[in-house]
Amino acid sequence: MTAPIRILDLGLVSPLRSQAIYHGVAYAQKPETPDTIILVGPTDPYVCIGYHQELEREVDVDYCREHGLPIFRREVGGGAVYLDRGQVFTQWIFHRPNLPASLEERFALYIKPLVDTYQTLGIPANYRPINDIHVQGKKIGGTGAAQMGEAEVVVGSLMFDFNFDLMARVLKVSSEKMRDKIHQSLNEYMTTMTRQLGRTPDYETVKREYVRQVVDALGRPAEYSDPTPEELAVTEELEKRFASDEWLYQKGGLRQTGAVKIHADVYLAEAAYKAPGGLIRATARLREGRIDDLTLSGDFTMLPSVAVGALEQSLRGAALDAAAVRAKVAEFYRNLPVQSPGVGVEDWVSAVMAIKGQSPLQ
Amino acid sequence: MATCNNCNIPEDLYYWVEKHTWCRREPDGTLVVGVTDVAQHLAKSIISATPKEAGKTVKKGKSAGTVESGKWVGPVTAPVNGTITEVNATLKTQPSLLNSDPYGEGWFIKLKPDNWEADSADLVTGEAGIAAYQKFLDEQGIDCSK
Repeated sequence: MTAPIRILDLGLVSPLRSQAIYHGVAYAQKPETPDTIILVGPTDPYVCIGYHQELEREVDVDYCREHGLPIFRREVGGGAVYLDRGQVFTQWIFHRPNLPASLEERFALYIKPLVDTYQTLGIPANYRPINDIHVQGKKIGGTGAAQMGEAEVVVGSLMFDFNFDLMARVLKVSSEKMRDKIHQSLNEYMTTMTRQLGRTPDYETVKREYVRQVVDALGRPAEYSDPTPEELAVTEELEKRFASDEWLYQKGGLRQTGAVKIHADVYLAEAAYKAPGGLIRATARLREGRIDDLTLSGDFTMLPSVAVGALEQSLRGAALDAAAVRAKVAEFYRNLPVQSPGVGVEDWVSAVMAIKGQSPLQ
Repeated sequence: MATCNNCNIPEDLYYWVEKHTWCRREPDGTLVVGVTDVAQHLAKSIISATPKEAGKTVKKGKSAGTVESGKWVGPVTAPVNGTITEVNATLKTQPSLLNSDPYGEGWFIKLKPDNWEADSADLVTGEAGIAAYQKFLDEQGIDCSK
């Protein structure tokens, strides 16, 4: 018989635990650990940022502090998001051979039971490649993927409800006019089960239906169980790191605005470029027309997690010239088993070369 | 009816042993499909059965619906490619029939197979079926009295 998937239905836990738990289960994974799906929600609201994002660029940290909203960085790509009891997170922690190797296929498999659950409720949801779920053109939650230790992780949520006001409020924006536009866009282009049905469906019924759809999609049985003491111990260790400023503020090393001259031959410059798979922010220190140092951040997904750092490293010393950057990035993709859905060589080239437009060196 | 490790395994049915699915061919070519006594024993008290709807096509080896006990949800695997012609509506109100009578009143769906001859080649039946199930139960250490 095909090995059962373990279901950990944890109900409501602290905001920190709701993020740390899937990291903990992943890092504690052993060969005999069953493939696991965690269903969990936070007792209180919080803000969660993507692994490759720069905190202060994306989130209004002062607002969150003043309003007691904790902020955590997850080890999964994607964007900053306000989270609360309106979502039940569906966190998959699987062994590598038990999921498709291609990230696109993995997202499609992960999303199928979510879509089928929504459809059972009468919500005409469908899979929108690469990793979104849409209802008549509106997004009902996104998904993310990561590798943690030996484990493959895919995360998303059952979107019961969503606080559009606070989502727009916690983001860092250039002006209040921009915030209004974000709020309006969220309202127009996002939806929830509550909005679709005109009522909030019963959480337990929907969770049960979701597990049924998982079993149906994967053709494997599922068994409700509990985390092991070791998984909880690893989770608690990770919670210490997640609560530290060092972890939260990483990626901020080169943070500056526009182009700043350091001395005659050295400038800091930054630019943003929207690739199909997400926003890429590139911040560089340029020395005599070459990339002296580089930070790449944003809400894209790139696996393995160390790949972004490796790409930054590989571009150091390169001339700020499209052909030179392209050669380096192409070489990087040739030599490493990197997956970055919706972000290809030309997107990195465009992001890095956009710096040139900002730079007094041009 | 044959008994393997205290599990009932009728000789006249076709089995996909690892999936714990049985099927029986009716004179008109329709297949009656269900879960075996072994499956119901492993699942314990079944509280819900959710077959896919009549009219839906199913693929061999893929789920044709699910059965649930308190702590367990399992797929009912389609033994061949085909179209669901009927689901056992009684299971909605009496899912425990899957426990009490898995080969009779607890049948799960009826299927019109696309190509029975080709798709059934790896299903086992008769003495060979019993032997295959006995071997599997011994390997897995499954006994329906425990």
